[in-house]
Amino acid sequence: MTSQEPASAIIEIDRVSQVFQTSARKDHLALSDISLTIEEGAFVSILGPSGCGKSTLLYIVGGFVNPTSGAAKMKGRAITGPGPDRGPVFQEFALFPWKTVLGNVMYGPRQQGVRTAEAEAQGRALIEMVGLKGFENFYPKELSGGMKQRVALARTLAYHPEVLLMDEPFGALDAHTRTRLQNDLLNIWERDRKTVLFVTHSVDEAVFLSDKVVMMSKSPGRIRQVIDIDLPRPRRRNELLLDPRYQKYVVNIERMFDESDEAGAPT
Amino acid sequence: MMSPAVLTRRAAPVLACIGLLAVWQIASLALKNDSFPTAVEAVRAIPDILGDKESLTNILDSLRRMAIGFGVAVLVSIPLGLLMGRSRTVAAFFNPLLMVIYPVPKAALMPIIMLWLGVGDVTKTLVIFLGVSLPVIYHSFEGAKAVEEKMLWSGAAMGLSPAQRLVRIVLPAALPEILTGCRTGLVLALITMITSEMIARQSGAGNILFNALDMGQYDTVFAMIIIVGAMGICLDAIFERIRARLVRWSEPQFDMPLSFS
Repeated sequence: MTSQEPASAIIEIDRVSQVFQTSARKDHLALSDISLTIEEGAFVSILGPSGCGKSTLLYIVGGFVNPTSGAAKMKGRAITGPGPDRGPVFQEFALFPWKTVLGNVMYGPRQQGVRTAEAEAQGRALIEMVGLKGFENFYPKELSGGMKQRVALARTLAYHPEVLLMDEPFGALDAHTRTRLQNDLLNIWERDRKTVLFVTHSVDEAVFLSDKVVMMSKSPGRIRQVIDIDLPRPRRRNELLLDPRYQKYVVNIERMFDESDEAGAPT
Repeated sequence: MMSPAVLTRRAAPVLACIGLLAVWQIASLALKNDSFPTAVEAVRAIPDILGDKESLTNILDSLRRMAIGFGVAVLVSIPLGLLMGRSRTVAAFFNPLLMVIYPVPKAALMPIIMLWLGVGDVTKTLVIFLGVSLPVIYHSFEGAKAVEEKMLWSGAAMGLSPAQRLVRIVLPAALPEILTGCRTGLVLALITMITSEMIARQSGAGNILFNALDMGQYDTVFAMIIIVGAMGICLDAIFERIRARLVRWSEPQFDMPLSFS
């Protein structure tokens, strides 16, 4: 490993492998020998083609999936299951459809014993922060995809997880909504700089958001390279798109993926 | 003021009933058969039945058995169905059992149950219970199976235990499907109620109906059919109201304007 062990490591992934059984009863190696350290307060993207196991890696950190071998640790303690210190945001939103926007956002704090009045006040503030003031009493089915994902983000932020686990959160949204949510996510993140683990297959998205991009390749899922994104913050989209350093990161990463495709694909 | 469209929609069921009675009346007059009284004769017999204290007690006894059978079935079947939907072990145990019971007409089990438990309330209520249980278990099972995994993960991250997830996520998420099963169950409760009273005559609405048939009181037979039918329609309508209120969050919005003409 080239990077030295940082003192402020919050998540350590240590030689994690994941084997799935396919329907044909054959073993499929989804993740092979992954080791990765994530520093506290960093915005880290896991970037790779579909099927490279990047979401599985996120689920292992979340404690939703147990790795076949190896281990993941949160602040030095082995991850054995889900917990409120790691808050997921899924591509599918996974809102509680029988709860209103406010009900969804209050759910976690209420579960943790926060008094109703207090949870409601915090919930309303969060809903305003994600730009949904006025929609407190709407049900999820009445909202657009972008609005649903804003609710999902607020619902997770409401119980103050130390790490945000975002699983292609903007993958189901149209391009315009996607860029708006990326901007808003960065603005929210700038306030308290929580650790974020962000899974995506979009190179622009990964470079725009992250301090560090973990490039993965598939079959089996491996880490190819970890790239530090050395761009100033706070980042503004309109400035960044014109910045040659940003463009260089995007072009280089895309080129690396293209090369591996050509080498691996039997065209 | 109600708009003509709303008025038509409200009046439609009433018109359908009047139409049905009219067809009946004409058919009866045309056939001139003793065992086929006219609609007017049948409707006229209704107050006599409802005014008779013994008949009324019989009908209320039926309703009581139905309510108990339905209630107990729902209370047992929903948790069982939900557990089956979320646990492969529970499903593996109960699925074959239910597959065997499912196609058997519950009334066909009555002779055995009567042999063991007699011809009283317990037997009849048990048959209603069996009739209601299967659709409710099946729909609860399907509903629980369809609950999005990520929704449960979100709950787990908030600190909900597996039992809490079952009650506070699986149950509400599956509620629309569960209530569909309960609605089927309610109609089946009525059917098994009458059937059980037909087999084990002693009391109840079914008893009045088949006694009247034996004695050739055909207007009473038809009047009882109307009463039982009306009970079914009312119960279903009440249940549908409750159901719609409970799962308003999942219903598609029909009242959205489709055009602005």
